[in-house]
Amino acid sequence: MNRVLRIAGGVAFAAAAVALVLVLPHWLSDAKAAEFARAGCFFIAIIGLNLVTGYTGQISLGHGALMAVGAYTTAILTADHGLRDLWTIPLAGLVAMAAGFALGLPARRLSGLYLALATFAFAVAMPALLKRFSGLTGGSQGINLFDEALSRSTGALGHVHLAGWTLATNDFLYYLTWGIGLVLSGAAWLLVRGRLGRAFRAVRDSEVAAASSGINISFYKTLAFAISGFYAGVGGSLFVLVSNWFVSPSTFTFDKSLLLVVGAVVGGLGSLAGMALGALFIQFVPTWAANLSSAPGAPSVFFGTAIVLVMILLPGGLGGFLLKLTEPLTRRLYTRSE
Amino acid sequence: MRAMGKSRVLFGVFGALVVVSAASAGGASTPGVTSKQILIGGTTPLSGPASAYAAVAKGADAYFKYVNDHGGVFGRSIKYKYEDDAYDPSQTIQRTRDLVQNEKVFAIYNTLGTEQNLAVRSYLNQLKVPQLLVASGASTWGNDFKKYPWTIGYQPSYKGEATIYGRYIAKTRPNARIGVLYQNDDYGKELVAGLQRGLGQKAKLIVSKQGYDVTDTDVKSQIARLKSKKANTLMVFATPKFAIQSYSSARLLGWRPLVFVNAVSSASNTMTIAALASSKRQTEGSISIAFNKDPVNPRWKGDKAVTLFRTILKKYNGGQGLTDVYNVYGMSSAFTLVDALKHAGKNPTRASVMRAVTHLDERNNPFVLPGIVIRTTPTDHFPIAQARLERYHNGNWVYFGSIVHIG
Repeated sequence: MNRVLRIAGGVAFAAAAVALVLVLPHWLSDAKAAEFARAGCFFIAIIGLNLVTGYTGQISLGHGALMAVGAYTTAILTADHGLRDLWTIPLAGLVAMAAGFALGLPARRLSGLYLALATFAFAVAMPALLKRFSGLTGGSQGINLFDEALSRSTGALGHVHLAGWTLATNDFLYYLTWGIGLVLSGAAWLLVRGRLGRAFRAVRDSEVAAASSGINISFYKTLAFAISGFYAGVGGSLFVLVSNWFVSPSTFTFDKSLLLVVGAVVGGLGSLAGMALGALFIQFVPTWAANLSSAPGAPSVFFGTAIVLVMILLPGGLGGFLLKLTEPLTRRLYTRSE
Repeated sequence: MRAMGKSRVLFGVFGALVVVSAASAGGASTPGVTSKQILIGGTTPLSGPASAYAAVAKGADAYFKYVNDHGGVFGRSIKYKYEDDAYDPSQTIQRTRDLVQNEKVFAIYNTLGTEQNLAVRSYLNQLKVPQLLVASGASTWGNDFKKYPWTIGYQPSYKGEATIYGRYIAKTRPNARIGVLYQNDDYGKELVAGLQRGLGQKAKLIVSKQGYDVTDTDVKSQIARLKSKKANTLMVFATPKFAIQSYSSARLLGWRPLVFVNAVSSASNTMTIAALASSKRQTEGSISIAFNKDPVNPRWKGDKAVTLFRTILKKYNGGQGLTDVYNVYGMSSAFTLVDALKHAGKNPTRASVMRAVTHLDERNNPFVLPGIVIRTTPTDHFPIAQARLERYHNGNWVYFGSIVHIG
């Protein structure tokens, strides 16, 4: 009985999320739809980061660089190899998955702060690497799909015709990012609630205990990084589309990586629903802070204060807060009947 | 669902608008053109590192307002919507897309920057939206008109400018040892190519070329390397910030070459800062080219156009930018656009304005140097292809030689 209720609750929650995503553009201006689409890219990357940091307990400050790998995969395949931008999205995920696996290798030996620094080095080096191989990446000028590859950039010319519907570009990008985001968050939910999720959490809570229960720690750590890389890659790929089909090294400086960590922590590590709120936080709060005052440095202070306030008032992040709000409802569902 | 509903409503509104405008204009409707107004748009760096160039749009806007107060063009006023792209091509794309799709502008005009214009050229040409009088000296605007028939530039090309320097050196300084400082992108490389073309067989006079990236903090090491090659002639193919640094770094090294500074950085106010950052001796004798009247140049004291320039800025720009040659550039470009619109017919279409800007023969533009004719033909898409050499003397530019053609 309870199991049925729980599944029904999950389905209802998912349905509500889908419905919200579907109807939201109704109240959005064209420009706001574009900003929400950008938040959608962060959403996907943060789900990935959450798998590594929230569920497996490995700190990564390099996820902005993994997004860059996905973004450049899409840009290069579309510009130089004649692929349509949409088809490159899964490929970008796979390439970034390989990069995530490589980034996960040091995690087998390093932990805590040392791992954070190793991944941070990856994030700091990324723009320089992109400029170094300018033959492939276009150097500091980046790659512009809006110019030569215009015909392969879906929606670039104004409208998208989809199964009899006509969508404005920014609405299309909104549905695309959040649609993919919902599917991938569903996939993440399935992953973490099963055997794999239990292994991840065991590694996070105590490596010694996990190892003594027969869990191959280095395998699960690198696996978490690889899966997470896939998410970051898809997020990065979509980021090219929502950045007007344009990518350059300055799009992915190390502060993107830090921003993702902020999003994951504010959203509430270890909570999937909170990730959407974390993504909206890092998309909209900086703009809001910039509107408060244009004095030099002031927006950063406001943004920082907002983060500190959230952490003091809601230690479980926005996701934890959501959980608390719905607790009276869910407690009944999750309490085993005697 | 919602998108379909909205588009239906939009379609209805649009249909009604078409009927209304067709009834009033008595012809087929052209986006951005009503019986009262012609709406044009463009982007410019109002903020960010290149915000000094904002004067190009502001000068043009002030001139349009002046024209509007004097009857407009065939009774229509010109509304110029210029938006900030912070000199970032990705923002240029976003703003331009917004101007074309949501604001429904008649044409994109005077957008500033090479990369910025390249970023939207394919898009505008696919939609057949004119990209008029591009504010960049890349030669591709004039050269590639067959592939991009809806795009046209305005100012002399960088390549042509450097060719003039090359020819001048080959003729007057056969024993020069040339050191080149250039920005490591399309703009800088085009100037280097032009210099080599102008030098012709004397290209071996170039003893060293040093590039810098826009992201570099300074050009000290490049200048030191050029000095160490015993160059006595320095080509500064750089944007204002780096041009000023070239002068000050050379002075710190006790090096005083003859400097050729590209027109991008030779505005009087830039040179004044360069002289302050180095010394008056350091900037003395520098050579550049000019095509607009420089409002602080004593040569134009009492000149009718410069007086008009000041009146317009006082009335329509709050008196800002009275000494800024970029404002003059904006006005001369706006003058040419108004000229083209007058020739585009009583009911201008996108096609008719393109025809007009490719058949310019403008001898009366008051904001360019006397004798310069702004001319285009269907096979020559370089509106300004003439300039004068000038030499910096006692804190002012002095023209020398006659008008030179930029080929």
